[in-house]
Amino acid sequence: MVLVTAARDYINRMLQDISGMKVLILDSQTVSAVSVVYSQSELLQKEVFLVELVDSIYKSKESMSHLKAVYFLRPSSENIQHLRRQLANPRFGEYHLFFSNMLKDTQIHILADSDEQEVVQQVQEFYADFVAVEPYHFTLNIPSNHLYMLPAVVDPSSLQHFCDRVVDGIAAVFLALKRRPVIRYQRTSDIAKRIAQETAKLMYQQESGLFDFRRTEISPLLLILDRRDDPVTPLLNQWTYQAMVHELIGIQDNKVDLRSIGDFPKDQQEVVLSSEQDTFFKANMYENFGDIGMNIKRMVDEFQQVAKSNQSIQTIEDMARFVENYPEYKKMHGNVSKHVTLVTEMSKMVEERKLMLVSETEQELACNGGQGAAFEAVTNLLNNENVSDIDRLRLVMLYALRYEKDSPVQLMQLFNKLASRSAKYKPGLVQFLLKQAGVDKRTGDLYGNRDFMNIARNMARGLKGVENVYTQHQPLLFQTMESIIKGRLRDVDYPFLGNHFQQGSLILLVKLALLSFAVSSVETSHGNASNVRPQDVIIFIVGGTTYEESRSVALENANNSGIRFILGGSVILNSKRFLKDLEEAQRTAKSSSNII
Amino acid sequence: MATRNRTLIYKRYRDALKTVRVPTSTSPLQSSGKSSCSGPVIELVNSSLLNPNRNYAPLSTEDPGNSRGAVTVGLPPAWVDVSEEIATNVQRARTKMAELARAHAKALMPSFGDGKEDQHAIESLTQEITNILKRSEKRLQQLSAAGPSEDSNVRKNVQRSLATDLQNLSMELRKKQSTYLKRLRQQKEGQDGVDLEMNLNGGRSIMEDDDLDDMVFNEHQMAKLKKSEAFTVEREREIQQVVESVNELAQIMKDLSVLVIDQGTIVDRIDYNIQNVATTVDEGLKQLQKAERTQKKGGMVMCATVLVIMCFVMLVLLILKEIIF
Repeated sequence: MVLVTAARDYINRMLQDISGMKVLILDSQTVSAVSVVYSQSELLQKEVFLVELVDSIYKSKESMSHLKAVYFLRPSSENIQHLRRQLANPRFGEYHLFFSNMLKDTQIHILADSDEQEVVQQVQEFYADFVAVEPYHFTLNIPSNHLYMLPAVVDPSSLQHFCDRVVDGIAAVFLALKRRPVIRYQRTSDIAKRIAQETAKLMYQQESGLFDFRRTEISPLLLILDRRDDPVTPLLNQWTYQAMVHELIGIQDNKVDLRSIGDFPKDQQEVVLSSEQDTFFKANMYENFGDIGMNIKRMVDEFQQVAKSNQSIQTIEDMARFVENYPEYKKMHGNVSKHVTLVTEMSKMVEERKLMLVSETEQELACNGGQGAAFEAVTNLLNNENVSDIDRLRLVMLYALRYEKDSPVQLMQLFNKLASRSAKYKPGLVQFLLKQAGVDKRTGDLYGNRDFMNIARNMARGLKGVENVYTQHQPLLFQTMESIIKGRLRDVDYPFLGNHFQQGSLILLVKLALLSFAVSSVETSHGNASNVRPQDVIIFIVGGTTYEESRSVALENANNSGIRFILGGSVILNSKRFLKDLEEAQRTAKSSSNII
Repeated sequence: MATRNRTLIYKRYRDALKTVRVPTSTSPLQSSGKSSCSGPVIELVNSSLLNPNRNYAPLSTEDPGNSRGAVTVGLPPAWVDVSEEIATNVQRARTKMAELARAHAKALMPSFGDGKEDQHAIESLTQEITNILKRSEKRLQQLSAAGPSEDSNVRKNVQRSLATDLQNLSMELRKKQSTYLKRLRQQKEGQDGVDLEMNLNGGRSIMEDDDLDDMVFNEHQMAKLKKSEAFTVEREREIQQVVESVNELAQIMKDLSVLVIDQGTIVDRIDYNIQNVATTVDEGLKQLQKAERTQKKGGMVMCATVLVIMCFVMLVLLILKEIIF
C-alpha cells in the first residue's frame, strides 16, 4: 500500500483543512498522479465540485468567488506562467497553491509579484510527483522516453530535461517515504550514472536539509538500472492477465481504452483495471491466461445465480431484498462484463495473430539454447503468412540478441528475409538495437551463460522441465533482486555512489574482484562492501519498466524475505512502446549524424 | 510524508513587492508612481481589512477607491441555496433516522400495553423521513442546469454528491424497516402462533381447517375466528404500508441511480470527467451551431414563404378575373 497510501495522504491533507465548496485545478501530469489514487466520488465527499486543467481554466470568464481554488501543479515554467495570468485576474475566492516538487526562489518571487489582490492563502510543496499505479510500482509517464538511448551530444538540453524529470520523480518518492537512500547504479550505463550523480547531489548537497530525516534504521537502497541491460523482457509476448492486457491492448494510468480494437457499447469503451478497487482483478492479475479463463467462468456462473434469484420476485421480502441489493447487483454486472469483454477480445487477438505459436518460439529464444533449432523456427515463422509484421520483427530481434555472435551469415539471412517480408520495416532497426543493447553493452547475465553457477542452474532447470512453456521466462530483475536479498550484488557491476561510504576499501575490493573474476567464491564473500542488507530497495529502470517485472516484484514482496522492493520507471513499456522508442532514437541519431 | 511550507517566504516576498508597487486609480496594469502619496497608505489599510471578510462582502460596500480592480466579490449563485437546503434536509433525515432506530428498539421490547402509541410514533417518523427524502429528491431535480458551462459542471457534481447521500439514506431506511418488520413478525408469531406466510401468499385461509369440521362453530371457535380476522386485517394494513413505502423508495432509488456514480467504473475517474467536460463543451457548441443552421435553413420557413406567395398570386388572379369579367 506504500506508494498509493503516500499519494492519498498528500491529497487528503490538501483538501481537509479547507472548508466550503472547492475547485481542484491540476495539470496534465498531476491529473494522472491524482486519478490513479483518488476517485471522483471521494472528491465529491470532500466538497470538491469542479476539477479543471490549468491550461483550460481561463477560457471561461465567469467569476465563481463562492468557490475556493486548490491548485496542485508541477513547478514547471509553463505552470508558473499560467498561474501568473490567473492570479492577476482571480476568478475564485481563495487560492491555495500546492506544488508536487521543489520550487525555486525565483518562481516564488514571480508568483508573489503577480498576486496583487492577495488571494493566495498558502503555498506548499506536497511531493506527490509520481504516478502510483500499484502499491509497489510507480511510473513517471515521460513522453520523450527515447532520449535515454542517445548520447548526450545529440541533444543536450532535452536530455537534461529528461534527467531533471527523473531526478525530481525519484526525489519525490523518497520525500513521500521520508527516507534518504544509499545510491548504486549500473556501471556500464552513462545515463544511469548521470542520474545517480544528480540525485545524490540533490539529496546530499543542494537540499540536504529537506532530506535529513535523522532516522536510525538502515538506509534504503536506490538502484538505478538501464533498460538496455534487459531488452528481452519488453519484447516478449505476455500471458499473465495484467501484462497481457497491456501488451495486446494497452493500459494507461490503470485505464484500458477499448475503442482502438473495436466497437463497444458506451459503458464498455473505457474500463478501469485497478487492483485497489476490483477484487477479482486483484486476485487474478498475476495468473496466467488459462487459469483466468476458469476463474472468469466461475464468476459468470455466480453472477447468473444472483441474476436468476433476482428474476423470481414473488413475495414482498423478495421485492424488498431486490431493491436493497440492486446497487451491488449493478456493480457485479459491470465488473463481470468488463472482464468477459477483455478476455474475449484478447482471445480473438491471440487467435488472429497466432500468438501461441509465436510465443513458444519467443520463449525458447529467451530461455533455452540451441542455435540451429532456433534459426529454423524463426525462419519458419517468418515464412508463415499469418504472422504479423510486428511479431516477425520481435522474433528477429530476440534471435539477434541471443545469437548475435554465433553465426553472422544466418543472422544476415534473417535480416534480409525480414526486410523483404515486412514492407514497413525500417532497415537497420535490429542493428541499432544490437548497438544499444548488444552483448558487449550488457552488464547482467541475461541468458544465464556467463558464469558457472548460472549455467549449472540452467541445466538443472532444463532437466527438470517447465510447468508452462509460455511463462518460463524470468526477467533479469528477478536475478538482481535475488542478489540483493543474498547480499551479493557485485560492486564491480553496480558501484556505490558518494564518498561518505566506505569507498576507500572498495577500490581494494574491486581489484581483488577483478583478479578473481573466474573464481566466484571470492566474490561472494566480498560482494557487498557495506555488509548490511537494506530493508527497503527502490529499483528505478531508466527507459521504462514492464508489467512482467512489476509482477516479479510483487511476488517477491509476498515471499516475506525481509526486504521490501519498490519498482519504478520512466514509462511502462510494452513491445509496441519499446519498438517506438527504438525507432525514434534511431531517427534522431540518424538526423543528428547527418547534421554533424 | 514530508512537506514543505513556503507560505512564509511567499508572504514576505509579497509584502516586500507591495511596498515597491504603487497602484493607480485608473488601471491596475499601469506602473507605479502615478497616484498621490495618501493613496497607497489608505489602500494598504483597506485591503488588509477587507481580506478576512472577502467571500460574502456585498458589492455595494466595496471601496470605490480600491483600484486593484477588484475581484467581483459577490454573493454565490441562487442554486447554492437549493443545495444547502437539501444538505440540511439530509442532516435532519439522519437525526430522525436515529430517533426511528430508538423507537423501533422500544417497540420491540416486550411490554404490557398494546404498543399502539409506539406503532403510531414509528409510522409517523417513517412517514416524515420518506417525505423529507421525496421533497429533497424533487428539489434535487431543480439543480440540473441547461447548457454546458463551468457553473453547470459544478451544479452537476453537487447534484451527484447529494444524490449519493440521499440514496444511502433511503437504503438505510429500507434496511431498518425490513429488520424491524422481520423481528416484529418473529415476536408476533411467537405470541399467536399465526403463520403469516399463509396470508402473504394469499392462498389458503384459516377457514380451510374449519371446513374439515361439520361447519359447526362453537363459541370458542367463533372468538378465535374473530381474533384472527382482526389480526389479518391489521397485518394486511401493515403489509400494504410496507408495499407502499417499498414502491416509493424504489421510485426514489430509480431516479437517483441515474445521478449517482458507480464506484470503480470509468465514470468515477477524475481524468475521464475532465476529458468529458472538454468534449461536452465542444459538442454542445457544435450542436448549438447545427441547430442554428437547420433553423435558418428551415424547411418550415421555406414552406411558409412559398404558401404566402401562392396566396398572393391567387389573390391577384382573383382580382384580375373580377376585373376582366
